[in-house]
Amino acid sequence: MNTAVKIAGVEFKNPIITASGTFGFGQEYDRFYDISVLGGICTKGVTKEPRKGNASPRIAETPSGMLNSVGLQNPGVDTFVKDDMPFLERKDIVTIVNIAGSCEDDYVYVAEKVNETQAQMVEMNISCPNVKAGGMAFGIYPESVRKITERVKKVCKKPLIVKLSPNVADIAVNALAAQDGGADAVSLINTVTGMAIDRFSRKPVLANVTGGLSGPCVKPIALRMVSEVYRKVRIPIIGLGGIMSAADAIEFMIAGATAVQVGSANIFDPMAAFNIVNELTKEMKYCKISDVNDIIGSLILP
Amino acid sequence: MKDYLVRVTENKRVAEDLYELSFAPKVGKFEQMKCGQFLQLQVPGLLLRRPFCLYKFDAESVTVAYAVVGKGTKEMIGLKKGDEFKVTLPLGNGWTLEEKHKKIVLLGGGVGCAPLAYVPITYPNRDYYAFFGFGDKSKVAFESEMSENSRLTVITTDDGSYGEKGFPTEAFEKRLQEIQPDVLLACGPRPMLKAAARLALKYNLAAYASTEERMGCGVGACLVCACAVKQADGSVAMKRACADGPVFKLEDLVL
Repeated sequence: MNTAVKIAGVEFKNPIITASGTFGFGQEYDRFYDISVLGGICTKGVTKEPRKGNASPRIAETPSGMLNSVGLQNPGVDTFVKDDMPFLERKDIVTIVNIAGSCEDDYVYVAEKVNETQAQMVEMNISCPNVKAGGMAFGIYPESVRKITERVKKVCKKPLIVKLSPNVADIAVNALAAQDGGADAVSLINTVTGMAIDRFSRKPVLANVTGGLSGPCVKPIALRMVSEVYRKVRIPIIGLGGIMSAADAIEFMIAGATAVQVGSANIFDPMAAFNIVNELTKEMKYCKISDVNDIIGSLILP
Repeated sequence: MKDYLVRVTENKRVAEDLYELSFAPKVGKFEQMKCGQFLQLQVPGLLLRRPFCLYKFDAESVTVAYAVVGKGTKEMIGLKKGDEFKVTLPLGNGWTLEEKHKKIVLLGGGVGCAPLAYVPITYPNRDYYAFFGFGDKSKVAFESEMSENSRLTVITTDDGSYGEKGFPTEAFEKRLQEIQPDVLLACGPRPMLKAAARLALKYNLAAYASTEERMGCGVGACLVCACAVKQADGSVAMKRACADGPVFKLEDLVL
């Protein structure tokens, strides 16, 4: 049975990657299980300067999901490279560094710093809904998606993944723009902008007022978008949005994803990604799949 | 820290809107825990786990006290003996007493008394003075457990319907000179922590507090439970209540 997949020349032993912002830089979950069992890890978003993030509360439970508004809190790329990257370099795992910024120059700066590490890939976050000019500004209009992709691709020595926002007119058009800009892959979807209200205080639950919705409630939206993007672009897709099980992962691959990211599930259960990796071959047997590559984009449309 | 499948051994009401839930590991034993640490409890049917401080604990059994405040805790009332769910424990840093801390004041408000009540079990052979505050008589709990392990336990209620009328901080200040404590441990609502911080400053008293924030992963990865904490250089950093806390130096907390 084969679970290995390849994206832009990078080999993953299985298609299960942990999603940015839900897995820190890996150390915390490595205390529960050896994270080398995962196909890959996508780090917490890293910016040029250290960021404090938003005020608390930063989380709210919603029906079948959650809202978060962390606001890109991170130690900055220099501290990340010095303190956090060495741990990941020691692990037999594909490391994808998620980069974010407030202007194009920030992204270029961070990408150049990541060049000096042994990270295998870079994921460019142009879709964070929780920070003003925190990236989503670049992710809304196709022309700005193409432009920033082009600039970062020029300096980035690692394969570049562009993470797309679902809060746009047509995600497939933006995926195409990323491809035109030179992206090696796209990942989708980032969180869906949402809100929770406390009816007693009549205030938003989140200090940031709005947040990003994730969890099983966004899975149908994400599946639809992966399927739409698959039919439009030729670069590989990494699918994410509410994946809780190996069965979910297989559905994303059928829709067109070459690999998937597990996000909120890690927050709901520290063993989630580990369990999904373990279930995968069992689920493949159950679905009569001998090679995961055979199902990528195998969706049968009426 | 580990994720355990556990089985409910008891779930009982101890006061108005206050319950104690006890559970045991389905297989094996719990690892070593320390007072002031916490756990993340999976409420059947809900996605986000709920954080609770350890109340009573040993290798075979853990008890948490929970106040019924929202959807998760309402759901927990329905847990019955034999029900199974997952729990991640132990999490966070817990209370640390130094050798020189011989006289210890425990200042608690409401369900916040729970993580204090077991400090004398973890750190025996010291003198404990507990000041526990509640809204009114119907909400009073933890009194007998605390009395057994302390030199003095004073219960206060906001309306005077039980014990002394007023706040636990007031009851403590009245006896402060007499006790001459070495350290103060506090857990409770924010106004109580603020009052405790004022006392600690006024009397130059070493003090620690356990914080509470809405939590995500509970293990330090998601950065959702950030709280503002003063640093040595005077700046304020967003620290993780789960992994850097929940116990911080009281003077460092931006309340």
